[in-house]
Amino acid sequence: MKFSFTQAARYTALVLLVLAGAVLLVAGGVRYLPARGEMPAEVRHLPVYAAWSFLRMLIAYFFALAFSIPYGFLAATNKRAEKVLLPLLDILQSVPVLGFFPAAVFFFVSLTHGSRLGVEMASIFLIFTSQAWNIAFGCYEALTTIPQDSFDALASQGVHGWQRFRILYLPACVPKLVYNSILSWAGGWYFLIACEIISIGPTEAALPGLGSFLKRAAAEGRVGLTLTGIAVLIAIVVAMHLFIWRPLESWSEKFRYEFAASTVAPSRLLVFYRELRLVAYIGRTARRLAAYVARQKIRLFPPRQVIADLEALPPLWRRIVGRTIGILASACALYILVRAGMALVVVLRPPWPHQAWMIPAALGASFLRLLVAYILALAWTIPVAVWAGNRPRAMRIVGPFAQIASSVPATSLFPLIVMFAIHHRGGTNIAAVLLVLTGMQWYILFNLLAGVHAIPGDLKEATRSLGLTGWRAFKTLTLPAMLPSLITGSITGWGGGWNALILSEYLPYAGKVYSVLGIGTLLQEATVPPGNQAMMVLSLVAMVVVILLLNRFFWRRMYNWAADLYKIEY
Amino acid sequence: MPAIIELEHITKIYPRPEGESQILADVSLEVMDGEVLAVVGPSGCGKSTLLRIIHGLIPPSAGVVRFAGRAQDGINLSCGMVFQSFALLPWLTVEQNVMVGLEARGLDDETCRKRAMKYIDKVGLDGNEEAYPRELSGGMKQRVGLARALAVEPKVLLMDEPFSALDALTSINLREELIDLWGDPALPVDTIVIVTHLIEEAVELADRIVVLASNPGRIVESIKVELPRPRERKSPEFSALVDRVFSLIV
Repeated sequence: MKFSFTQAARYTALVLLVLAGAVLLVAGGVRYLPARGEMPAEVRHLPVYAAWSFLRMLIAYFFALAFSIPYGFLAATNKRAEKVLLPLLDILQSVPVLGFFPAAVFFFVSLTHGSRLGVEMASIFLIFTSQAWNIAFGCYEALTTIPQDSFDALASQGVHGWQRFRILYLPACVPKLVYNSILSWAGGWYFLIACEIISIGPTEAALPGLGSFLKRAAAEGRVGLTLTGIAVLIAIVVAMHLFIWRPLESWSEKFRYEFAASTVAPSRLLVFYRELRLVAYIGRTARRLAAYVARQKIRLFPPRQVIADLEALPPLWRRIVGRTIGILASACALYILVRAGMALVVVLRPPWPHQAWMIPAALGASFLRLLVAYILALAWTIPVAVWAGNRPRAMRIVGPFAQIASSVPATSLFPLIVMFAIHHRGGTNIAAVLLVLTGMQWYILFNLLAGVHAIPGDLKEATRSLGLTGWRAFKTLTLPAMLPSLITGSITGWGGGWNALILSEYLPYAGKVYSVLGIGTLLQEATVPPGNQAMMVLSLVAMVVVILLLNRFFWRRMYNWAADLYKIEY
Repeated sequence: MPAIIELEHITKIYPRPEGESQILADVSLEVMDGEVLAVVGPSGCGKSTLLRIIHGLIPPSAGVVRFAGRAQDGINLSCGMVFQSFALLPWLTVEQNVMVGLEARGLDDETCRKRAMKYIDKVGLDGNEEAYPRELSGGMKQRVGLARALAVEPKVLLMDEPFSALDALTSINLREELIDLWGDPALPVDTIVIVTHLIEEAVELADRIVVLASNPGRIVESIKVELPRPRERKSPEFSALVDRVFSLIV
C-alpha cells in the first residue's frame, strides 16, 4: 500500500482528533473521584464473584458484537468509510486498554452521579475495549475476502439489500466471528484483573469480581487464595471452551468457503445441541425475528432515499448542503481540538513535574523490555508452530491449550513471580519481562499456527519431492510462507505487550511495591494518591505516539513488504 | 432472427498504477434471438469481461449495450449466469441456493419452493435438495449452478467457462444436457452466450463462434457453424472447423 500525501494528512488529522478526545477525557477523569469500596477476598465469596465477572464479560461481549459487525460491514463495503474506519481501528487497537481507564471512569461515573452503576459501566466499557477491535477486524477481513464470484452470482440473481446481508455478508463472517470471539474472551479475562479495580486519584473503587479478588489476594500476598482464584478462572475458561466454543467452532465450519483450510475437529456436543428442543426453538425464533425485520423493510445502512433526494437537488443547493455539513463537522472537530488543547494547557502548565524528564528514558527501557520479551516469544513460538502446524492432530491439542493458557491473567501470578524476584538482583526486571511475555506470546503463536497450517499441501509435497528437509525446507518454504502471519502476529503481539507493560513494571505485593524504570511505572505512579494529572497525560500521550509511529513506520512497512513478496496466491 | 442483445463500440479500460490497461477495444456484436453464441479466445483476451458487460455486472468504459432494443443500465435481470467456479454459497443447501434469485424477486415461499424443485428436477438433481454444496461432486455443483440460473426463467443464459473446472467425461455429459435443455420448448431460455477457451466445446455447442484476440481484446472473426445437431465430434467437417478456429487464435 502506497501512502499518498492526502492519506497521510487524513491519518494525521484522525490521530490528532482521537488523541485530543482522549486527553480531554483523561484530564476530566482525574477530577472525579468515585466512592471507595471494600471487597473482602475470601474463598466463600468466589462463586458470587465469578458470576459477577462472567456477567460483566457477557454484557461487554454483546456490546462488542453489536459494535463490531456494523463497523466491519461498513468498513468493508463502503470505500469512503473504509478510509476513516480502518486507521481509526488501528489507533483504537494501539491505545493500551488501561490508558482508557481514567477517561472511561470519568465519563460513566459522572454520568450516573457516582453510583455503583457508573463504576460497573466503566468496568464493562473497559472489558469492551479489550474485546471489540479484534472482532471488528475479523469481520472486515472476512467480508473483504468473499470471492468476487459470490457477489457476481448474487447480483446476477437480482439479490441486494437485506437479503444480501442475510445470505452472504452475515454467514461469511461467522467463522471469523467465532474464532475472534474466542480470542476476545481470552483478552477480556486477561485484563479483567485491571478492569474491576478502578483507582483514580486518591480513591479506589473495587467491584465484586474475580479480577478484583485476584488483585486483592495478590496484593496481600496470600498465595493459596490467589491460586484458588486462578483455579476457578481456569475452570470457567475450560468449561466455556468445551460447552460453547468448540460446538460453535464446529458449527461455523458450515460457513467456510471450501478453499479455506480447517483445523476444527467435529464436535459431538454440537450433535447433542442440535437434538435439544430449546436450541431449535431459539434458532426458529431468531429466524422469525430476522424475517420480521426484513419485512419491515428497515434500511440498516445509509438512508438511500435521503441520499437520492440530495443528489436530485440542483448543483448550487447540493453544494450549499455539502458545504454546510462540512463546516459543521469541521467546527465540531475544531471544538474538540480546542477544548482538548485548553485542557492540556491547564494540566501541563509549567512547571512540569520533574518526573517528566524521565519519560524518554522510561520509554527506552520499556521498549527494550518488550524487545527481549519478543525475542523470547519468537524463540519458542516458531518451533512450536512449525511442528504443530504441519500435524493436524497436534494442532487440535496445541490450539485449544493455547486458547486456555492465553486467558489466564498472568498478572495474577504476581505473588509467585515476585517472591522469586525479591530474592535476586535484577529480579524485578526479569519478572517484568516475563509478565510482558505472557501478554505477547499467544498472539504470535495463534497467527503462526494459522500461517503454517495454511501453506498449501502441494507446496509441502513439492518441497519434499525435491528432497528438501530440515533447515533447508524451513528456509525455502516454511519461513517465507509464514512471514506475513509472523508480522501480523507481531503487530498484535506488540500491542498486547504494550498493554501488559502497564501491569508488568509496577508490582504491588504484600503491602510493598516492586517497580522498575519504565513508562508503565510512570503511568501507574501517576495514579497513586494524590494523583498527578500532568504525568498521567504526558506518559499516556508519549506512549501512544511511540506505538503509532512504530506501527506506521515499521510494522506496516514490514507487512507490505512481506505480503508483496511472500503471499501465496492461487 | 432479430438481435436480442446489441453491443455498440464497447471499450473497457482499467486504471492501473503503472498506467491504464485496455481490456476491450471497440467491440461491436449482435446476439441473435434463439442462437447459441460461443465466444472463444486466448486467456486474457477479455472474454469474461465481455460477458459481464453484457449482463451489466460491470459497466463498459465506453459504448452501449442494448437489450431487446433498449439501452441497458445496471444489471439485466432477463439474463441468468453460470460461473466457472460454480459460485454457490457453501452455507445454503441445494434448494436454498436455487431459491436465492426467486426470493429476490419477491415470490412467496410456496412458489419459490415449487419452482426450485422443478429446475432441480430438470438438471437431474432430485433427491439432493437438502445437500450442501461441499457434499456434491464438481459436476453436480455445476448442475446446481445451472438450475439456479434457469430458475429465474431468463431470456438469455450467460455461461462463463461453465465446464472448464470439470473432468472431460462430466463436461461431455453436461454439454449434451445443456443442448437438450435449450431445445426444450417448456423452458423460456432460447438464447445462450457461452465463453470458453475450448475450441471443440465451441464448435460442438454453438450456432456461431466469435473469435477474440488479446491486447487489447477485439473481435477477429465471426464464424457460422452449420453442422447438423447432434454433432459428430469425429466427423471431418467438425475437425476442419476446429482447425480453422484454432488457426485464428494462434
